[in-house]
Amino acid sequence: MRKKLFVALIMALMVIPFLMGTATAKTLKIGSMGPLTGPYAADGNDIKNGVLCAIDVINDQGGVPGFDKIELFPQDTACDPRQAVAAANKLINLEVVGVIGAYCSSATIPASETLAEEDIIMITPASTNEKVTDRGLPYMFRMCGRDDDQAPAAVKFMKEALGAKTIFIVDDKTTYSQGLADGVDKAAREMGITVLGRDHVNQGDKDFSAVLTMAKDKNADVLYMSLQNHATGSLMAIQAKRLGLKSTIVSEDAMFHPNFISVAKDAAEGIYVTYGYTDKTTDAYKTFEKRFTAKYGKIGAYGTYAYDAAYSLLTAIKNAGSTEPAKVKAEMMKLDYDGASKHIKFKPNGDSGSSYVAFKIDGGEYKLYWTPENGIVK
Amino acid sequence: MLYQANPQAEEAMEYFIQQLINGLTLGGLYALIALGYTMVYGVIQLINFAHGEFFAAGGYVGVILLNFFAGRGLMDTHPWLGLFGAFALTMAYCAFLAMAVEKVAYKPLRHQSRLAVLLSALGMSIFLQNALMLTQGVFDKPYPGEKFSGGLVFGDIRISVLQMMIVGLTILLLVGLNLLVFKTRIGMAMRATAQDKVMTSLVAISSNRIISLTFAIGAGLAAAAGIMFGLYYGSVRYDMGFVPGIKAFAAAVLGGIGNITGAMLGGLIIGMVEIFGAGYISGQYKDVFAFIILIAVLYFKPTGIMGENVDDTRV
Repeated sequence: MRKKLFVALIMALMVIPFLMGTATAKTLKIGSMGPLTGPYAADGNDIKNGVLCAIDVINDQGGVPGFDKIELFPQDTACDPRQAVAAANKLINLEVVGVIGAYCSSATIPASETLAEEDIIMITPASTNEKVTDRGLPYMFRMCGRDDDQAPAAVKFMKEALGAKTIFIVDDKTTYSQGLADGVDKAAREMGITVLGRDHVNQGDKDFSAVLTMAKDKNADVLYMSLQNHATGSLMAIQAKRLGLKSTIVSEDAMFHPNFISVAKDAAEGIYVTYGYTDKTTDAYKTFEKRFTAKYGKIGAYGTYAYDAAYSLLTAIKNAGSTEPAKVKAEMMKLDYDGASKHIKFKPNGDSGSSYVAFKIDGGEYKLYWTPENGIVK
Repeated sequence: MLYQANPQAEEAMEYFIQQLINGLTLGGLYALIALGYTMVYGVIQLINFAHGEFFAAGGYVGVILLNFFAGRGLMDTHPWLGLFGAFALTMAYCAFLAMAVEKVAYKPLRHQSRLAVLLSALGMSIFLQNALMLTQGVFDKPYPGEKFSGGLVFGDIRISVLQMMIVGLTILLLVGLNLLVFKTRIGMAMRATAQDKVMTSLVAISSNRIISLTFAIGAGLAAAAGIMFGLYYGSVRYDMGFVPGIKAFAAAVLGGIGNITGAMLGGLIIGMVEIFGAGYISGQYKDVFAFIILIAVLYFKPTGIMGENVDDTRV
C-alpha cells in the first residue's frame, strides 16, 4: 500500500512540469537568418533590425492573440552553406514558427531544405536566385525580386536607355552572379544585342587587368559587371577607368551600396546599377522609416524587405489564429496590402514580384535614372 | 574557348603589349613579396607563413600615413614627398614588426623541431590577420591614390603612373638588395650565416642579429609591395595578404627557394603567366595557370629554376 502510494506520488510529481508548461507565459518564437559577421555583416544586421521593427509594430497593435510575447532568435549564417544548415537546425530545435532569411542565395537554398523537412515557413528578404522559389517547396516565400526579373530589366534598360548593340559580360562564379550573368546573356540574345564575350573572375581576386584589357579590346557598348560583392566591384571599376575602358559599365543590386562609391570614388561616376524599386514617398514607407530610424539607425539595402517579410508572417499568424503551417500559409496567400517596400501579394510559387529600375551614379550618389514603365526619368 | 584578339595585326600587338605591362606590374609585386619568403628560408630554413601579413600590415600603415599627410595638406603641396615619407615609415614599421614577431614567435623555438616553428608561423599569421580585422574593420579601406593618376597613352596602350612606379621601384629595390647581399660586409655575414651558423658565430658574427636583419629586410620589401598594391588597386582589406602571399610563396619555390634571383624571376613568371592565361584563355583559370607552371617546373627540376642542392641553400 505504501509502495503504491509512493509510486503514485512520484507520478504526480512527474506531471507537474507539464502543468507548469501551460501555466507559464506563451511565447511566439520566430527566427531570422543572415550574415551577422564577416564582410556582409552590415546586410545581415539590417535584416535582423527590419524583423525587430516589425515585431515592435505588431506588439503596438496588441501582439498576436494567444501569445504573451514575440521573441526573435537571430542566427548567423556568415553566407556559408554549412553554417546556414546548422542555423536552420538550431531554429528547428527552438521550435520557431517561421524564419526570415537568409541573405546569400547559396545559404538560403540549403537552409530552406532543412526547414522544409519540418514545414517551417521561410521568407527571404534578399536572396534573388531563381532556385529559391523554383524548387516547389510549399513554405518558401520571397519578398525581394528574382534574378530572372532583373536580367531582362537590365537588358531592356541597356537597349532602350543606352542604345546598346553589343555587350561583354563578367561574373565571379558565385550562384548569384553566374545566375544573373546567364540571364543577361540569354535576354541580350533575345532582344538582339550581340554578346561579344563572356568571362569569369575568381572570388577574392584583386587584379582584373587581364580581363579588362580583353573587354577593352572587344570594345562593347556595355560591360555588364555581375559580381557578388561591392568591394570586388569597386576594384573592377577603378581598374577599368585606369585602363581607359570605353564601354559603359552596368551592374546589379549588389553594387547598390554606399561603400561601392566610397571606395571607387570618381571611377564609380557614370556607372548604372539596377535595383528593386521601393517608392519612398508612400505613407507605408514613411511610417516604417520613422519607426526604424528612431531605434535602429540607417536603413540598409534589405531592412525594408525584412520588415515586410516579418510583418506579413506575423499578420498571417494573427489572421489564422494558429501556428499550424498549412493554415498560416493559407492566410499568407490571402494577404493583399500596401507594404513598406511595395504592394504585397504572394504568387502561388511564393514570389511577390518585383520591379527593377536603373540608378545612375552621379556626384557620389545613386540617382533614379530609368524605370521600365516611364523610360528615362528627368 | 581560345581568345581571339581583333584580327588586325597592329591591334593584336597592342593587346599583347598591354597584357605584358599588366603582367610586369603584377609580377613585380609578387617578386617583392617572394623575396621575404626566400631570404628567411635561406637563413633559417623556415617558411614564414606570417609574411603575407607583413604585406597587409604595410598596406594599412601606408593608407593611415597617407591619410594623415593628406589631412595636414602635405599631399597637396608635395605629393611625392608625402608618398616617399609613407614608404620609408611603413617599411621601417614593418621591419620592426617582423623583428618583434621573430623574437616572440620563432626565436624561442629555434632549437625545436622545424614543425614547431612552422606551426608558430601559421598561428602568427592568423593572429596578425585577425588583429588587422579587429582594429581596421572588415570593409575595404579606400586608398588616396588620385594624386598619382594619369600616365602615358600610346594608341590603345596605357601605362599608368602607378604601373611605372611599381616596376621602377621594384627594380630599384631589387638592385639595392642585390648590392646589399653580394657587395657589403653585412651581406657577406648573411650569406655566411646561411651556410653555417656555428662557424659564423666563431668569427664573432651574431647570428641572432643577422636573422633579425633578414626578417626586417624581407618585411620592409613586403611593406613596400603592400603600399603599391593599395595604390594600384585602390583599396586594402584585412585579408589581402593571403592570396598574394600564397602566390609569392609559389614564386619563391618556382625560382628555387633560398635563392634571391630565383625569387625575382619566379615572381615575374607567375605574374606573367597569370595575366597571359587570363588574357588569352580565360580569367576563371588564372590561378590554375600559375600553379600548373609551378608543378611543371618542380616536376622536371625539383629544386626550382635557380635552386641548388636543397641542403645547401644560400641567401
